[in-house]
Amino acid sequence: MNATATKDNANPTVYRPAAAAAGSGSTSSSQDWWRDDAVHVADSKAPFYRSGDPATSVAINGMEIDGQDAELREEIDADEVFDLIRSVTDPEHPLTLEELAVVNAAHITVTRPGDHPGAPKYPCVRLEFTPTIPHCSMATLIGLSLRVRLLHALPPAYKVDILIRPGTHQSEMAINKQLNDKERVAAALENEHLFGVVKGCLESASRRGATEDEWARKADELAKEMGIAV
Amino acid sequence: MGEPSSTPSSSSAPPLELITSLPGHNDRAWSAAWNPRTNLLATCSTDRDVRLFSHSRSSGGHGDTMEGEEQVRFALRETIPTGHKRTVRQVAWSPSGRTLATASFDSTVGIWQQLPPSESGVVDATGSANPSSSSTGMWDCIGTLEGHESECKSVTFNRNGTLLASCSRDKSVWIWEVQPDGDFECLSVLMEHSQDVKCVRWSPREDLLASASYDDTIRLYLDDPSDDWFCYTTLTGHTSTVWSLSFSPCGNHLASASDDSTVRIWSRLDEVQCKARGLQPQGKVAGRAGDRWVCTNVLKGWFGRTVYSVDWAKGREGTLGRLAAAGGDGRICVWEIAQPEGEEGAPVATLIASVEDAHGVSDINCVSWGPMCKAEQDGGEDAARFEEIGEDDDAEMGGNGSDTWGWNHLLASTADDGSLRVWRVPIVSLGSA
Repeated sequence: MNATATKDNANPTVYRPAAAAAGSGSTSSSQDWWRDDAVHVADSKAPFYRSGDPATSVAINGMEIDGQDAELREEIDADEVFDLIRSVTDPEHPLTLEELAVVNAAHITVTRPGDHPGAPKYPCVRLEFTPTIPHCSMATLIGLSLRVRLLHALPPAYKVDILIRPGTHQSEMAINKQLNDKERVAAALENEHLFGVVKGCLESASRRGATEDEWARKADELAKEMGIAV
Repeated sequence: MGEPSSTPSSSSAPPLELITSLPGHNDRAWSAAWNPRTNLLATCSTDRDVRLFSHSRSSGGHGDTMEGEEQVRFALRETIPTGHKRTVRQVAWSPSGRTLATASFDSTVGIWQQLPPSESGVVDATGSANPSSSSTGMWDCIGTLEGHESECKSVTFNRNGTLLASCSRDKSVWIWEVQPDGDFECLSVLMEHSQDVKCVRWSPREDLLASASYDDTIRLYLDDPSDDWFCYTTLTGHTSTVWSLSFSPCGNHLASASDDSTVRIWSRLDEVQCKARGLQPQGKVAGRAGDRWVCTNVLKGWFGRTVYSVDWAKGREGTLGRLAAAGGDGRICVWEIAQPEGEEGAPVATLIASVEDAHGVSDINCVSWGPMCKAEQDGGEDAARFEEIGEDDDAEMGGNGSDTWGWNHLLASTADDGSLRVWRVPIVSLGSA
């Protein structure tokens, strides 16, 4: 662990997180399987772009899109995206991005086909995050963690743009360009050390705003339900 | 010359016809390349493999019109576990079709050649060599080019197969000489870009190299016979990373694809045209008159996200060819590029085919036109030579007259879900060709 003296922002302001959103879905129907983080392999290698079977999930020139995809797409809004990322932890501090006010739902925009004239035919997420200080050296790492989290947690149809909240970082444009260059991102995530740090930030992500205590209690309940408690 | 924008008109073009969809790789498929001599198509991926597909055509017979009667079939011939330690980003064939180069994120370039059947396979009961393509593999790594300091992004052979260029995130472009004994010697390391170099491509007419970069520019390089390779001009105009380049078959135009969601066409003004416009020609070296490259077309409004790939191939007689482009919004567009109307005009781009969601929801990383047959390429008197690699791997000469139009209207595309698709430009959009 870094000594406090070498951290960028040794004393970050901690914000009390909002209550975990209602409907954040601890239960998952079979169609919500992608939301259930237990399904995702926690120690998988660099992100894989889940394809499904091309024969069923394709839409060519007006052919029907796989019904499941269409249904899932309707349910994702800015609050849902926020829920997915709020508990990602900061690389330097054992605090979530929500607690540090690095992310908030108001800075997330989800656009779906048909939302407005000229809206693209694919769903889009635009996520702006606010580094804690304007020269935060961890900004790229935070952005990378957000990208990996959404890659794993959103259906592949979503095009995601991750940007620094305008005016909140001195290298805003350079970082934005890096985070949205998929070749650079892919190459970076092939680095085991880097990917390890990202994974560390994502370990808590499935908490969706619950505190560690709440999360532990829930695990306890589940264990009892499943008959493996003492 | 102005920069006319070609924006989408209200009339839509017919869709590309899907010939085949192959599951391909286990992870993102970055690039596809057609062998210019044989019927192999190579793809490469984050999964570190190169896949070789063979294609074959069956027609109604000699003399039948190919349109409407031809069937094209693709089959996976071989999966080469390249041994690269990271993603294989691009594959490129030498003009002879006998050498394959792979550019990898592990910062090296692999050079591959096919072993003769007797060396690569097992001998079966009848005593004849029976290559087992899946277990023993027929492609062997004969060399590794090292030197780049970070991920290699692109590799490409020049028109004669005598030079190879590679580029990397280390901002450099390396030019290698292909030596007769199969070795490669580094001729030049060019550090002109200020950021990653995404793509390198040789002109089909001369040893002129173009590079595309994360720094939003395109650079052109020449060999000064009395000195060294040098960058003779920088093309600016794109407002974000330039991902891909492709010269027109005549070599007088260059298409580029960018993160700014546009495709640009840059056209070469020769010495005379330069002087007529009061421009100083550049790149004048022994044996070469100077020229200037100016942006003549901005194809804007066709794509909603990054355009990752362009490819420009020969088309109908009298035109500059067909330009294909694709990117992150899943759309493939094909334009026919016609000669400018007058002396001052820009090439005219007309959309002749397109398809939405070409690989479902996945980004498209590469589009690549099938190769031309030899007879059409150099107007030679030979009947078309096209080696077909059949099921039993014997090379056959496909020499009937109907081969002269070749494969040039087939287009391969690769995507983030690992898939490879092959498309045909619909006949109706070819006009009276």
